[in-house]
Amino acid sequence: MRSRIDKILLTILLIAFLVSLYLVFLWVPQIKASNVSEQIAQKIFYYHVPSAWLGFLAFFIVFVASVAYLWKRERKYELISVASAEIGVLFITLVLITGPIWAKPVWGIWWTWDARLTSSLILWLIYVAFLMLRRYLPDGSKRANLSAVVGILGFVDVPIVYYSIRWWETQHPKAVMASSEGSLAAPMFIAFMFTLATFTLLYIFLMKKRYQLLVLEDQVNKQFKEMELL
Amino acid sequence: MRAALAILKKDLQMEFRSKESILAMWIFSLLIFVIFNFTFEVSRLVMLEIAPGLLWVAFIFSGMFGLNHSFAIEKENGNLRSMALMPVDGGQIYIGKFLSVTSIMLMFEILIFPIFVIFYDLQLSLQMLMLIPVILAGTIGFTSLGTILSAVSVHTRNQQILLSLLLWPLVSPIVIWSVNLTGVIINGEITASFYPLLIRVVAFDVIFFTLAYMLFDFILED
Repeated sequence: MRSRIDKILLTILLIAFLVSLYLVFLWVPQIKASNVSEQIAQKIFYYHVPSAWLGFLAFFIVFVASVAYLWKRERKYELISVASAEIGVLFITLVLITGPIWAKPVWGIWWTWDARLTSSLILWLIYVAFLMLRRYLPDGSKRANLSAVVGILGFVDVPIVYYSIRWWETQHPKAVMASSEGSLAAPMFIAFMFTLATFTLLYIFLMKKRYQLLVLEDQVNKQFKEMELL
Repeated sequence: MRAALAILKKDLQMEFRSKESILAMWIFSLLIFVIFNFTFEVSRLVMLEIAPGLLWVAFIFSGMFGLNHSFAIEKENGNLRSMALMPVDGGQIYIGKFLSVTSIMLMFEILIFPIFVIFYDLQLSLQMLMLIPVILAGTIGFTSLGTILSAVSVHTRNQQILLSLLLWPLVSPIVIWSVNLTGVIINGEITASFYPLLIRVVAFDVIFFTLAYMLFDFILED
């Protein structure tokens, strides 16, 4: 099911990622840091933060699709929630991988049980459990109902998890985009926004593809069932 | 409310006859204390510091038994289907199950607490009375989420492991807060910051109880 839109999207994505690499690694001036490895590690920021944002967006979509499913009972909402959960887990996995790569040269350790780190890990665990649940259930309306319920409970829990861990002292860098104290220099901001837009496009593309695949799976299963009946 | 109370009565009657859950939970908690003792050989001072966490680990690991058991017994004889067919709101069934799980867990907690006090040589004081609202709030948070997730996981092949996978990360805020509050009571002085934290736990309880109550209908449906 390779449509023209897909081809165009893919081409744009390829170009955008190349441009993003150029912006991040060549165009933006190096930060002032005590050593080279710290300077290089800082580049991870451009991929780490967009991954985190898209992870949240993906889980928000899971929540919306779960509510929509319980309300309208249409298969498509179930498929959207699954596709988005899978991609969200993928992005948060990227966050959990890029974070330690940055932390090792800067903090000197791969991992610390810091507030932000711990809550991201818990977030990841919640949605991995969501996907595991679906794996252990036979296909059908029961599965759709149960996973929608978990999709809603899980998302409501996310802010509570963040809140509950907030009193821990955090080493994690402050949110540079939203706070008043540290703000990004103009070139950094441009490179960041460009990468964020590219990642968002990647999310849309992956969603579209995964959704199509799930629909195809449905069709194949349906045909198998019909053949068995004959 | 009558349906909920009927379920509560039935579950408690079953429990008092067999003592299956409470006994298993109690022995398992004892085991946790023993295992912790020889896996972490630490001084008494450190022991006191980790004691609140240990207490909640015991509560929650054992609580998993109760939760698993609660819906497993319904599934065995196809009761789950009959429950779904009952001409009452799904929320009623949730409340009934929630009440029975919570009361069984509270009874177990009352029975294990003296052992905890003896093993860790805690000094009893009036301040200890504040543990009652803390344990009550923490337990209700755990069971309000646990009851609905137990009803979810009972439909799967790997019921027990899946309940843990679903419940642990979701209930982590409650565990963090409860351990924190228990630590203040056991090792320190209750200060002004104690009560807002307790209210937070209660707020969590209310949010998840209400949500689970509303969503329970969808779980029973076929």
